[in-house]
Amino acid sequence: MNRKTSIAGIAAAMLISGVLNAQSATVLYNDRVVELEQTLPDATDLWVKPEDLTRVNDFVLKPEGACLDALCVPVLQDRDSAMFVTRQGQAWFNVTELADKLQQAYVTDYNDGVWSFGTMPVTRQSFLRGGEAPDFELMGRDGEPVRLSDFRGKKVLLLTWASW
Amino acid sequence: MPVWQSIYEELKSENFEIISVAQDTGGEEAAGHFYDDANVTYTALIDVNHQISSLYNLVNVPSGVWVDEGGKIMRINEGTYAKTHFDGAWGTDDYVPIVRDWVAKGADSEYVWDRTKVRESIIQRTPEAERAQPAFRLGGYYFTGGNDEKAEQYWTMAQELDPTSWNYLRQDLQYEDGGSAGPEWSKRRAEIESAGGSYYAPLEIDN
Repeated sequence: MNRKTSIAGIAAAMLISGVLNAQSATVLYNDRVVELEQTLPDATDLWVKPEDLTRVNDFVLKPEGACLDALCVPVLQDRDSAMFVTRQGQAWFNVTELADKLQQAYVTDYNDGVWSFGTMPVTRQSFLRGGEAPDFELMGRDGEPVRLSDFRGKKVLLLTWASW
Repeated sequence: MPVWQSIYEELKSENFEIISVAQDTGGEEAAGHFYDDANVTYTALIDVNHQISSLYNLVNVPSGVWVDEGGKIMRINEGTYAKTHFDGAWGTDDYVPIVRDWVAKGADSEYVWDRTKVRESIIQRTPEAERAQPAFRLGGYYFTGGNDEKAEQYWTMAQELDPTSWNYLRQDLQYEDGGSAGPEWSKRRAEIESAGGSYYAPLEIDN
């Protein structure tokens, strides 16, 4: 091909990669670190593709809304809203708007595009009001995940300590 | 830790498990050898993001939670030493006997709390304290990635958002001059105690 085309090709590739870099984000939730290649640029909010929503916080976007087990937060998907927009055929979901609705705290390093989310109070009422032990999953020292619920049927003494 | 191992040996055949969780950003390197040295056979975990303290609203170590066979909390948020340390300066040996009683008698143990007492013993977080945990998590992310400046920035933010958390303070001090039990920690502890407060949530053995 001639020189003109290849320069245009390089320029296009640079543009695309530049855009991708500008839109990438890292999300922290519990022990997970989720790298998102593309998010919708926004000065204050985190917009992700619907399929990335589940990677970020286990919510699934269904016709009735964003759902986690029995909990569903209604989301209109036939028009733009604070929670959901469509741009050039691509749907985007506003994770921070959902967090606000759930009273889930988050802290953001905007320079690096790192979003750190806290526990979700609305999913914790059985603990806070009912005294149910929150289940957890931590990676064991042998690399196998360990959950509190693995020990149902036993009395468990849960102890925290620290080396420091 | 050897004490908990001996208690585990004594009680494990009675449908009982100990889950011990190190709240340690330093991970295996910082905490692992304590488990190995004591040859523990109970469930021994290392929690680099202090997830258990976040989930159970705990602010100090050691802390203990009793969970019954059905996943209900029976006691929570107590400074749980297995024995007296440093000539009584820290902890007591009052906790182990009540654990034995619970394992033997279950819901009939006089040391089991009712629903109201459990609910009242769970620390309620302010909205600021809710934000402290993702701030601390963010600091840990930068610490792991070697960015000490940003780690310090977000760990400081976590302490400002939740000044009640000894875990956030002492994990941070671990990486500064003086260490996690140095002058800054002593000063903070003295401030709380002179104001009539308690460094550890007091053990309430007499119901």
